[in-house]
Amino acid sequence: MSMPSIIKTLGTSVMVAGMAFGSSAVAADAQLPGNVRVVIGSTSTGGDTYQNSSIVADGLAEHLDINMKVDAVGASSAFRFLDRDPRGNTLMIFHDQSYLGHLYGVQGYDDIFEKYTIGPTVAINPGNAYLVPKDSPYQTLNDVIEAVGNGEEVRVAIQPGGVSEIGFSALKNAISIEHPGMEDNLVAVNTGSQADKNQQLFNDQADMINGTVQANEQYTRLPEDDQKAMRFLWLTARQGTIEQAPEDGLGQTSREQLLQYVAPNVSVPMGNGDDFTFDKEFFFLYNKDMDQAIVDQIDQALTEIYDEGEIQQTQKTSFFIPNFKPSDEAAEYLETKMSVYEDIITNIQ
Amino acid sequence: MESGLSSLLSVSIDFETSHLFFPHIIHWVLGVLFALVLVFNVVPFLAAVRRGERSLPILGESMDKFRFFGTLVLIVAYFQTMSMVGNFFPYTGYGFLFVSMVFLFLMSLMYMHTRTRRKVLTAAINALVAPTLAWFILARLFQITLP
Amino acid sequence: MLDILSLLDITFFLLAALGALVGIIFGAIPGMTATMAVAVCLPLTYALGLNHGLALLLGLYVGGISGGMVPAVLLNIPGTPSSITTTFDGFPMAQKGEGERALRVCVVASVIGGLISAIVLFLFAPLLAEFSIKFSYVEKFLIILLALTVIASMSRNMLVGIFSGVIGIWLSLIGTYSISDGGNGKTRLMFDFLEPYLFEGFSLLPVLIGIFGIATILLEAEEGIKSGLASQNIKFGKGGGFSFGIFRGRLTNLVRSSFIGTFVGMLPGVGGSAASVLAYTQEKNLSRDSSEMGKGAPQGLMASESANNALTGGALIPLLSLGIPGDSTTAVLIGAFTLQGIQVGPLFIPENADTWYVMMTALVFANIVMFFLMFYAIKHIAKVVLVPKYILYPIIVMMCVVGAYAINYGIMFDVWTLLIFGVLGYLIQKVGLEVAPLIIGFILGGQAEVYFVKSLESAGSYGIFFTKSPIALVLWGLIAASVIFSVVMGLKSQAKRQVEAS
Repeated sequence: MSMPSIIKTLGTSVMVAGMAFGSSAVAADAQLPGNVRVVIGSTSTGGDTYQNSSIVADGLAEHLDINMKVDAVGASSAFRFLDRDPRGNTLMIFHDQSYLGHLYGVQGYDDIFEKYTIGPTVAINPGNAYLVPKDSPYQTLNDVIEAVGNGEEVRVAIQPGGVSEIGFSALKNAISIEHPGMEDNLVAVNTGSQADKNQQLFNDQADMINGTVQANEQYTRLPEDDQKAMRFLWLTARQGTIEQAPEDGLGQTSREQLLQYVAPNVSVPMGNGDDFTFDKEFFFLYNKDMDQAIVDQIDQALTEIYDEGEIQQTQKTSFFIPNFKPSDEAAEYLETKMSVYEDIITNIQ
Repeated sequence: MESGLSSLLSVSIDFETSHLFFPHIIHWVLGVLFALVLVFNVVPFLAAVRRGERSLPILGESMDKFRFFGTLVLIVAYFQTMSMVGNFFPYTGYGFLFVSMVFLFLMSLMYMHTRTRRKVLTAAINALVAPTLAWFILARLFQITLP
Repeated sequence: MLDILSLLDITFFLLAALGALVGIIFGAIPGMTATMAVAVCLPLTYALGLNHGLALLLGLYVGGISGGMVPAVLLNIPGTPSSITTTFDGFPMAQKGEGERALRVCVVASVIGGLISAIVLFLFAPLLAEFSIKFSYVEKFLIILLALTVIASMSRNMLVGIFSGVIGIWLSLIGTYSISDGGNGKTRLMFDFLEPYLFEGFSLLPVLIGIFGIATILLEAEEGIKSGLASQNIKFGKGGGFSFGIFRGRLTNLVRSSFIGTFVGMLPGVGGSAASVLAYTQEKNLSRDSSEMGKGAPQGLMASESANNALTGGALIPLLSLGIPGDSTTAVLIGAFTLQGIQVGPLFIPENADTWYVMMTALVFANIVMFFLMFYAIKHIAKVVLVPKYILYPIIVMMCVVGAYAINYGIMFDVWTLLIFGVLGYLIQKVGLEVAPLIIGFILGGQAEVYFVKSLESAGSYGIFFTKSPIALVLWGLIAASVIFSVVMGLKSQAKRQVEAS
């Protein structure tokens, strides 16, 4: 940066500072302030939540001509920041973990539908998957269900208390329906990161792991004699979600191939005639007292951004499925979604 | 014999309370070590204090009370006002920028033994330039969130 | 091969050099880390494209890790967690007026560590990745235990040192037993009203710069900030008394420490700071003349700095051959790949050969640039100690605040942590506890817990630590050797003191 431009930026900064003094006195006309911080429920700046949030925040910032910045502060801090700021300076983006954590009774998670305003959904990460070693005797998920039903113990490595556990819970629920009393043979191995879960499989401490298409696809293409080779058994995403993925799929696994692993090809019954599915959806959360006008403003802006169609391309390049629903629709939709999972979790307790 | 050993070593951890398992062990280790330190270090030390050979830490030492407590008070005030001012101008870093200027100047003044005009002027310039530079580079160029 | 050459233009090298420079600055500011440098520059890479972006980021990574040596040596504040062991010998040297010499030793050790690990990465990445997955929770726990044994050998009074170390472990357990480590997410060791602040416990970086930086300032304030300058007698002039002769007979140390750094960097989840601690322990245990270590011995700097720069190559091994980051910085680097739509995993190297060679070039080049930048800038950097304290100390406090606030992307409690541990650091030094063991306990405590509890959870027996694998037995051997060594050394020095006293 050249010297004059530094002076110029400094000058504008001082002016902005002056204006901030002035404008804080005037009652805000209920729109997003000039400086907005988007806090997310993850502490990783390399993860899907961060990536997705930056795509959306960048789009919004450009569209509304304001400053927006994504900060990976983690769930408990993010909720706390949101609690304290009804002005609209702090927004949050998170995914289904926000209510699943509450359903699983994890400390630090409250009922988001009661405590916050639900904002629009923006995208889906369709990658949630369950994998087995390539030389595993289980060819399909049904084999697993049958084996557990016959009294065989199957150990599944998951991260407890949320997105990683929900598929496991659904599987357990399905077993309790088809083979009552046998569900305890499906054992959770509680571990942490994806690295830990993979490690459990390599060390033969688990028979199946929770993973993602993005992180595990290359492992599924290793030769069978490689200790690290894996095989997809199940993707929890809805068929309709995967159908929207780019035709080439991910890596060298095409959309066609991915579709083999979703319902109805892989069936995990919920007992009501439907198959269990789970899409990891990203959505906004707002402070309950934030002005409705700001909620509307963001809905409006996102509607326009999604109408332009560019953001969808960006999301798809990063293997996200665009899924914009304005806040009212999103709140209703997510609440229904939660009640389904609540039933499953109470069933198996 | 074999089974006796393995049952001695066997342990079962309940996931629901597993957060207390390791802290529990550490508490025991800490307790035992504390007792040892008490016997071998603290008691002989106190005996030496009584005989007047050693003096108690902190209480029995001379200190520059003004600069020591002044530092503590300034730092507390600095942190507190920074977040308060920052809250007026959310996510601009102004809280950090303006409060740091005041803090730097006051702390410099406090640490000076002789306050010559030249020294005070240096401190003032430093108090203006250093926070501005830090704020400009970090908050503006690199978009790091500051209070 | 020609294809690759066409990817390497002037811009590529300029960006790698720029990255190294910015990284060094970030690393040199107490509280700013390599991870932070990579994270803030990540968005830039989108515009730069993959190869140019990687050049910049790898430069930042190498520069950021090495920059940490500067405040460690000159101010006794580790600029990054992995330069903690650099303070043990670096600061005593700086106090003797040998700051410049110490820094030059560090720079040379750093570039050697960086290049050795780059070579290992280039030649053996897939092979080593195969090996690293043999390390389950059990072996990782034993590695942490081995690193913890350094507490015994480096403390002045063994009992007090171990006690301090356990206090450090206890402090690290405050907060939740984190779900992201597979825990149950429940809080412990705190009162309910503290939960909003301490939910995730104390963060490492604010604790580190609080206990070193703020505590030092408090101790000085108590003395009345006597001298105007941070150091009185400084040997400037020709290289500050540095010559390459200092490395004579130190090759084993350098190579061993570089391999330890590479190896620890390679194990996912075993944090980077364990690398320099481990290298430091081994030098202390294995070298003939280690009695001066901790009082200003260049060999301690060599062990510490070559190991922590060797982390860079090491941490890239699991990233590029398993898709798993080896440390927090490489975790951010994953973002650069996904941003460009490239997967990292076991097939990354075979499928992206060009990118692989480009990365290697950037890594080696960044190390060389780092060396020349630092080696010739040191003369000026070392003059920091000439700044009067009434100017220097307020600036240090301010930069510590920035670093603490920014490390978790804007959390005010982290700034208060600075003060809490500043005061605590002051108190523990006053009552005669030892800071270095405490901080090592704090750094390693969290991992020790997870690996210990998870090992037992899956095996259901304490026996697993002995029967798991041959690797576990080898590690036990090293642990035993380390403990025996420090006990013998402890007795020797005690006998010596008694002789002197009588």
